[in-house]
Amino acid sequence: MPSPSAMNNATREVFGNITPWMQMVFFVMIAVSIGAIVWQVMGHVQLWRKGRAGGFEHNWRVWILRLMTYALAQKRVHKKSLGALLHLLLFSGFIVLTIGTTLLGIAYDGPYNFHHGWYYLIYELTMDVFGVAFCLGCILAMYRRAFQRPASLGHNWRDWWLLGILLALGLTGFWVEALRMHYTQVQPEIAHWSVVGWLIDVTVLRGLDVPTAQTMHLASWWLHTILVAGFFATIPVNRFLHVITGPLNIAVRPERPMGELVPLTMEEVERSGRTGVAELQNFNRQQLLSLDACMECGRCEDACPATATGKPLSPKAVVVDLRNLMSLGGGNVHETIRDETLWSCTMCQACVQECPVLIGHVDLISDMRRDLVGEGKLSGPPAKALQQIGSQANPYGRPNGDRFAWAEGLDIPTVESNPDFEYLFWVGCAASFDPRAQKVARATARLFKEAGVNFAVLGKEETCTGDPARRIGDEFLFQERAQANVETLDRRRVKRIVTPCPHCHNTLKNEYPQFGGQYEVQHHSALLAELIYSGKLTNDPGSEPITLHDPCYLARVNGEVDATRAVIGAAKDEQYREMPRCGKKTFCCGAGGGRMWFEEPPEQRVSNLRAQEAIETGAQTLATACPFCLNMMSDGLAGMPGGEKVKVLDIAELLLSRQTPIHANGDSNKIDE
Amino acid sequence: MAATLVLIELDRQQVKRPSLHAITLARQLGGDYALLVLGHDLDKIVATLVSYGASAVIVADDPALAEPLADRYAKVIAEAARQHGATTLLGSSSTFSKDVLPRAAALLDAPMLTDVLAIEQVNGATAYRRPINAGSMVATVKVEGNFCVLTARATAFEAPAADAAPCPIERLKLEAATLADGMQFISREQPVSDRPDLTEARVVVSGGRPLKDPETFERLVGGLADALGGAVGATRAAVDAGMAPNDYQIGQTGKVVAPELYIALGISGAIQHLAGIKDSRIIVAINKDPEAPIFQMATYGLVGDLHQIVPQLIEAIRRA
Amino acid sequence: MKVLVSFKSVPDPYAGLGDSASKSVINPFDEIAIEEALRIRERGEATEIVGVTIAATAADEQIRAALAMGVDRAIRIDDARALDPYAVARILRALVAKEAPQIVLMGKQAVDDDSNQVGQMLAGLLGWPQATFISKIEFLENKTRAQCTRETDGGLEIIAINLPAVVTTDLRLNEPRYVSLPGLMKARKKPIEVLTCDQLGVTVQPLTTTLSTSRPPKRAAGTRVESVEELVAKLKQEAKVL
Repeated sequence: MPSPSAMNNATREVFGNITPWMQMVFFVMIAVSIGAIVWQVMGHVQLWRKGRAGGFEHNWRVWILRLMTYALAQKRVHKKSLGALLHLLLFSGFIVLTIGTTLLGIAYDGPYNFHHGWYYLIYELTMDVFGVAFCLGCILAMYRRAFQRPASLGHNWRDWWLLGILLALGLTGFWVEALRMHYTQVQPEIAHWSVVGWLIDVTVLRGLDVPTAQTMHLASWWLHTILVAGFFATIPVNRFLHVITGPLNIAVRPERPMGELVPLTMEEVERSGRTGVAELQNFNRQQLLSLDACMECGRCEDACPATATGKPLSPKAVVVDLRNLMSLGGGNVHETIRDETLWSCTMCQACVQECPVLIGHVDLISDMRRDLVGEGKLSGPPAKALQQIGSQANPYGRPNGDRFAWAEGLDIPTVESNPDFEYLFWVGCAASFDPRAQKVARATARLFKEAGVNFAVLGKEETCTGDPARRIGDEFLFQERAQANVETLDRRRVKRIVTPCPHCHNTLKNEYPQFGGQYEVQHHSALLAELIYSGKLTNDPGSEPITLHDPCYLARVNGEVDATRAVIGAAKDEQYREMPRCGKKTFCCGAGGGRMWFEEPPEQRVSNLRAQEAIETGAQTLATACPFCLNMMSDGLAGMPGGEKVKVLDIAELLLSRQTPIHANGDSNKIDE
Repeated sequence: MAATLVLIELDRQQVKRPSLHAITLARQLGGDYALLVLGHDLDKIVATLVSYGASAVIVADDPALAEPLADRYAKVIAEAARQHGATTLLGSSSTFSKDVLPRAAALLDAPMLTDVLAIEQVNGATAYRRPINAGSMVATVKVEGNFCVLTARATAFEAPAADAAPCPIERLKLEAATLADGMQFISREQPVSDRPDLTEARVVVSGGRPLKDPETFERLVGGLADALGGAVGATRAAVDAGMAPNDYQIGQTGKVVAPELYIALGISGAIQHLAGIKDSRIIVAINKDPEAPIFQMATYGLVGDLHQIVPQLIEAIRRA
Repeated sequence: MKVLVSFKSVPDPYAGLGDSASKSVINPFDEIAIEEALRIRERGEATEIVGVTIAATAADEQIRAALAMGVDRAIRIDDARALDPYAVARILRALVAKEAPQIVLMGKQAVDDDSNQVGQMLAGLLGWPQATFISKIEFLENKTRAQCTRETDGGLEIIAINLPAVVTTDLRLNEPRYVSLPGLMKARKKPIEVLTCDQLGVTVQPLTTTLSTSRPPKRAAGTRVESVEELVAKLKQEAKVL
């Protein structure tokens, strides 16, 4: 058993085999390769600087928090998948090895050499374990690339070359370690701590004489060094650039609610003559930087409903294509990215949610759409919808005078008849005009009356929030609507708003503040859940198998998943089951981003895909909380085998049907005849 | 010499029946009227026109007139009107009459009214009622001048009786050389169907997804349409499911129709579809779901299984 | 090739009753004509697109909209009277004499008046070939002729016409582009020329006068029927549609 003092004195010689001249060469090589990194990164910075100024988050506390969450803790990477596992191994391995090497450098060059004793032993063990992790990560990555071959990954010879070099680095590192241990004849009890090196030493290197080992060590050391320097120098030209640009984007990307799009100002339009992005440099600098942060992992593409239905949109391709355009020096984005690609987006934000480096794909697409609309590239049904928002203040083209028709026979208080209302019930265009969705308005209103909520509706004073206009790309039509509505809401002294439509909810809550509209906005699920909690409404479960389709703009974009479940009594319903993609990771119904008004060939319908998921849950009732989802899912299910049996209902309709008989017997018969 | 000249339309070497309804308007206007027909190889056709109580059937028969090219036809029509001292030129509203009659009106230095529904006497003068604003309003109009051109909406006038004694046939002399040649006919693509055009039919029968497949669609929707002499339409859902061709689609992204009678079979009434039918005079909805939105817009609604109802309905109509 | 597009400002056909402001828009069929002119220019076959409308100043907004779509310059013939199609055709003839376009495009009919006459009358007055209700147009032989597909009751008809000619557009020809702010801003810089009938040397009086207008009876609330027999009876006796 070695003495404690022997362990305390455990250490290794640094640069043992390397002459001072060689050390000089070493440092120069490393300096040059780091210089190469810096120089290339500066080249990228020059490209980013071509963009419009601004777009950055300035608060350094936010940077730190984000870096810790997304860069260090890798929050977005964690998933049950081989990709997540191998990245964890590669990442942790790489970080630890880098830190370790840095510590070694500090110990060697610094005033006090602490690289000995138990610290040294633990260091050795740690480095070896993480070295193995690193190599394992490389191997798994190669395996995934060779055998699983996920399409969204992107397959390029450069990727193999990169993995090859990384693995070579890992392996040569161990090889060099083993040779060092052999020629320095490390004592076994110390050698054991450098596990892998020791294993190689006692197996492969057994019997090798010291001089040969020393020579081989030198040669391998140089190989390793050249690989390191070479690898460093090429970081900026391959996926690995993300180790620099990823954290950078994570830190400085703007802090903004997911559902908020940035307004355009008249000054900008007058200056550039365009609304939105036509040339690459119309993007802001942070956006251009974000393009370089992409490491092409493909998670955005995997989550995208447009990609899943065969449309010509992949969020990854948009980012990569723009990035390629940027590396060529810029140019007209529409020559690289087809109009169809931009129109295909439902703005569900699944891509934005998935991205480990926090790229904002939806903002990129929205900016480019704005330019298309501005340049007259929009025609057909979506153009008609916008025209109708402009002339009739609703996308359906119905006379605004009909807006209150849904309330016939229900005696609903208006801001005129009940000026002391507490809640403004914002109905939304769909629930006002679409016969199917009118039932949601009626059910909600009846529930509110039932529960004694002090509410009122704007009636004919309500006009479209303008959300479709903003999503499709006519920003100024949106602003016109927003300003008009803020004026009405303020004139009526509205403080709290409750609405059954997640799009209205998102816009009123997250975007109207841009125009001075500050209201407390709730989705009807939240208020209904409160009413249930306070005992004013009951939510006893039904008897049929039931599932819930979370609307994108409620669940993902605004993080609200509990209230909807509370309203349908999911927790106490044995027959309740979740959709495979549920909660914040819900899957789009296909109507967002203005797509409600675009024509879609049947084989590309997102709603069909989602309907299939619903059918497979075995549910006979599909609950949802959005009039668009209601429409899309009803249509989708009606067209699929097995789907005709599934009833699609809004949570308000379901809740109403579960109130005691005296108060309600469902919103059927009389009223809708 | 006749005060009124009525242009008769031909289709594939036969008289187009709705064009005869203009004769009823001519009769209402009073005075003598002559019929005018243009084309080539017209003897057989002309023979069928002699019993409509006209003072004459004027025939412009020439190879150069085999196809209805507006420049030639308008010229001949104007010439015929002048030769006969007519003061009114009539036709039945159709793409043919709308193509040639305004041009003829210009050659005759005359104003024109399209789609006359009825005539009225207002303060002792003849006035005409016609639809405006896509039929959402009706205007009562008077015309000044020595000559006027009118097209009558065929469905607003009854088919004229053909029980008069035969009238003479006059052949217009035409100088082929003076006929214009700035327009050339190339081809025509006529669908095989005998059914009327969807956007102009008086009756439209439409089907939705519950019709299941093209055969059932044709049998039920087509069958009912044929029993009523109507056109066939479809919802987008039906078209997408392959039950009906794309040009049957009615709705926001399809055709907008405004027939006298619209029958919706198995159509729930999504807002996009309703946009295409809201100006129909009578809407009948047949649907299994009593809460289908279409019932809100239907004049008559029948809840039930269309697969059973439609055959019964076809039968009942045939008997009626 | 110079293209002249004639358009009319009409009350918004989609504006409902009870809406306070009655907006005007470019007649939808004329919008299609303007869109087609733009596409012809985008194909490199037209050098100038001139828009013309006969109206009072209130129509300036629609003229701006046409310019915003891409029309190069616009002419407003100042005349606030209620003109009938024949009067319009005669005024346009005088303008055509002044502008000498190779082709005149316009919508087949105005959605307020629904007459469907101006294009044909203009062609007759000019003695030019006409192609009405087109759903497709292509230029041939170095733009001396055009091949047009027309939508007729009996199906699609294809004719060829010599230029110069008058062409009226039908619904399926194209889908007009949506115009938003940048187009409207560029439109501010484009010229609008105002002419009077006197300047064109034409004096016309409308020969048609509207005496009154009325609304056809409103759609009555619907009823449920219980059987096929009841339905047929009602269709026959009540609705009088069988």
